[in-house]
Amino acid sequence: MAEYQNLFTRVQVSAPHYHGVPHTGGGIWGRHGSGGVSHLLGRLGDAQIGPVYLGTLGLASLLSGLLAFEIIGLNMWASVGWSPLQFIRQLAWLALEPPAPGYGLTIPPLKDGGWWLMAGFFLTLSVMLWWARTYRLARKLEMGTHVAWAFAAAIWLFLVLGFIRPVLMGSWSEAVPFGIFPHLDWTSAFSLRYGNLLYNPFHALSIVFLYGSVLLFAMHAGTILAVSRFGGEREVEQSLDRGTASERAALFWRWTMGFNATMESIHRWAWWCAVLCMITGGIGILLTGTVVDNWYLWAVKHGVAPTYPQSFPTVVDPALAPGVTP
Amino acid sequence: MIRATRLLVVLALSSALLAGCSKSGVESVQNGYRGTGMATLYDKDRVAAQYAASQLPAVSPAAPGEGPTAGQIYQNVKVLDDLSAAEFARVMLSITEWVVPKDAPSEQAACNYCHSANLADDSKYQKVVARKMLQMTRDINSKWQTHVASTGVTCYTCHRGNAVPAYAWFKDPGPGHQSGIIATRAGQNTPSLAGGLTSLPYDPFTPFLLNDEPIRVEGKTIGGDGNRSSIKQAEWTYSLMIHMSESLGVNCAYCHNTRAWSDWSQSTPQRVTAWHGIRMARELNNQYMVPLTETFPANRLGVTGDVAKVNCSTCHQGVYKPMFGASLAKDYPELRGRKAAPEATPPVAAAR
Amino acid sequence: MSLLSFERKYRIRGGTLLGGDLFDFWVGPFYVGFFGVTTALFSMVGIAMILFGAAIGPTWNVWQINIAPPDLSYGLQLAPLRQGGLWQVITFCAVGAFSSWALREVEICRKLGMGFHVPIAFGSAILAYVTLQVIRPVLMGAWGHAFPYGIFSHLDWVSNVGYQYLHFHYNPAHIIAVCFFFTTVLSLALHGSLVLSALNPKKGQVVKGAEHENTFFRDFIGYSVGTLGIHRLGFLLAVNAGVWSAICIVISGPLWTRSWADWYGWWLNMPVWN
Repeated sequence: MAEYQNLFTRVQVSAPHYHGVPHTGGGIWGRHGSGGVSHLLGRLGDAQIGPVYLGTLGLASLLSGLLAFEIIGLNMWASVGWSPLQFIRQLAWLALEPPAPGYGLTIPPLKDGGWWLMAGFFLTLSVMLWWARTYRLARKLEMGTHVAWAFAAAIWLFLVLGFIRPVLMGSWSEAVPFGIFPHLDWTSAFSLRYGNLLYNPFHALSIVFLYGSVLLFAMHAGTILAVSRFGGEREVEQSLDRGTASERAALFWRWTMGFNATMESIHRWAWWCAVLCMITGGIGILLTGTVVDNWYLWAVKHGVAPTYPQSFPTVVDPALAPGVTP
Repeated sequence: MIRATRLLVVLALSSALLAGCSKSGVESVQNGYRGTGMATLYDKDRVAAQYAASQLPAVSPAAPGEGPTAGQIYQNVKVLDDLSAAEFARVMLSITEWVVPKDAPSEQAACNYCHSANLADDSKYQKVVARKMLQMTRDINSKWQTHVASTGVTCYTCHRGNAVPAYAWFKDPGPGHQSGIIATRAGQNTPSLAGGLTSLPYDPFTPFLLNDEPIRVEGKTIGGDGNRSSIKQAEWTYSLMIHMSESLGVNCAYCHNTRAWSDWSQSTPQRVTAWHGIRMARELNNQYMVPLTETFPANRLGVTGDVAKVNCSTCHQGVYKPMFGASLAKDYPELRGRKAAPEATPPVAAAR
Repeated sequence: MSLLSFERKYRIRGGTLLGGDLFDFWVGPFYVGFFGVTTALFSMVGIAMILFGAAIGPTWNVWQINIAPPDLSYGLQLAPLRQGGLWQVITFCAVGAFSSWALREVEICRKLGMGFHVPIAFGSAILAYVTLQVIRPVLMGAWGHAFPYGIFSHLDWVSNVGYQYLHFHYNPAHIIAVCFFFTTVLSLALHGSLVLSALNPKKGQVVKGAEHENTFFRDFIGYSVGTLGIHRLGFLLAVNAGVWSAICIVISGPLWTRSWADWYGWWLNMPVWN
């Protein structure tokens, strides 16, 4: 079957650069960049690159973020003796580590976690400024602030991991290190320490919403692509004035599973699924160590942990013998 | 549909590739109830290679135990003084076979590796070390049956024909570059051989196999009851556990049901053996290796001036039981403990 | 009769793959079709087997019900019903039901004159399931390597199988798959938000269109992928998440048996920097 599936654009139309809808209200900043076109990007999406609106918040966020990035990167590079070759070789293993547990919530010396605290502060500042940017941009364009509130859910998880939970636990050392493999080691160690995170019900919920988001995007994107021959991707127009694209999309799902969304409401399903992944995840992390120290035992108490028949002879903790330290 | 055909082709190719890649295949052994995923995987090629490399040396003929003891005949015999002359000679010949390099220059070949012209004197450090090693071997076989059972160990278990065991460890100060205000790597965050190439701590041996820092981190109750272990401590324990797994060629589920690490009722019997193994390694390092620090010359010490020490891979060398459980010690009663004096009752092997 | 206001004109004959007119009808809102019948049959048998498995098990607690695959010692044979055979029947029914569902979706697409993107995306999820429960166990020589059917018991399997490789996070295909998962949820949040923000401005303001959507993202990050592009992107991200998950598990065991962190030796030991 040699039918075109509308996954990649075959013929790209060269159009005038669109400078964007004007902002309401004043502002000292304008938009930067015009005329940029990427043929490669144009095969998947829009070919136009820019203009971008930098803005005060955007500039501040980028500067703060750059500072954090440099603190992290330069410390990593220093730890391999400034060797460019070793930096590339070991990059995935390098880290900027939070302070040792003994420092509690005090500000430690630079080399013992002070840099980490600084980088964390500037990264958080950058993220918050970037959030404000999403809010302001929506207001300037007289659109809803849904992007900002979805981002807020993700920031909730970010703050729980790096700030709120360490503060409640009384120690910066509980927070996540900066580093590719090291942050994965942290994830594993977190689960090892707290009795297996798979038994944390909020962790389970978060995964449900994570997989659910992938499922929903596959369903929604597949549906729109399948009706793109009827203009299905024009979702705003179809929401206001239902066309055959929305009708067929809805009927596909109604006939498949007995119910359906509308062109607008599917985006609400999507929004909530993605946002709940972040909200429940944050709750799950927050409860760990503060309220529950061992999730497996919690699960046993609440009757959700399965039991298995014994398959080997009874094993007893040798440390329980008298006079032995574990 | 082209997409479907392409997908099918990719799948077919992948299956072909996958089937071809693991040459002799993988064998798996179940460790727990079905469906729990507790299984050990053995790459048949790798195991075959390990088996070929683990063959025991030939056992020398047993020596008669009668007659005057080595302590009575020879001078300066401190550990093997209970053996007969024939038994003593047998042990000496065996050490030479199991430890002394075959290609040593003449002043170090065979007996000359440890002995000077006067066989009794301790002028060569190797002799002092060997004496300690013989003590240690007997100690392991008599007092640590909770770990080595009746299989026991001999010099060959660690040395395997080398003067220095291939898998001893030294304290690892890390790659350096930690001066001034540069952020500390806190003993990790660089590819760690001990930690299996993860970025977990690169020296889990000093705290856990030399010192007796606590290894357990999980709380025993839902609320923890004041359990103050940190996530970082869990990373150190994790690094040790990776070392143990790789030293034995097994995985975490060999000892644990990972849904409840600390629950002994869900662990396998091997976990008890491993628990004793940790204590044994600590004792061997502190009672036998560390006291030898001044004995060794500088070229046999680590970069921090410390002596070579024992960890799991020193004996196991990638196999769940050293040499796949074949026992050399069963044919060498001289190394299993002191011979009882004729009228005294035999010493009882103390369980630990 | 549970028809949407515009539905009648779409309920036409045709589009079937098998069976012609025999099963070409609806039950309530559900389309039946030949594959609707097979789905129902596989599902009913499978669910009955699951209920039977729960009944012969120690509990009816929905979180604890566990139907386990056979012992490794049975290899690829059929095991006795109570020693894992039940699990085998359920798996067979599941594959049958999922494939039937996908083919039913194809029939519905044909009837509605739509592209087949949805059943193809579902195919990647079915591929992941079949990889886990059929392909990998077959490559490893025993059905016992598959995951059990139980809410928390299947998580115990995840934990133990992950730790068979000491540190599963280091599996490079797993890293890629996780990146696709997280990028999918990020993109879904952004897409849902963007459309809703255009359709739902502040009270009294005018509903916005695609120009505003594009402008928002160009102002925001200098690039807007566009209304069609975001669906292509989302589709590719979601399907890749499923495909790379399947890859990451099928290479664990049949191809690689050691710690996944050990795999990076080739990178660390390259002569240029070692």
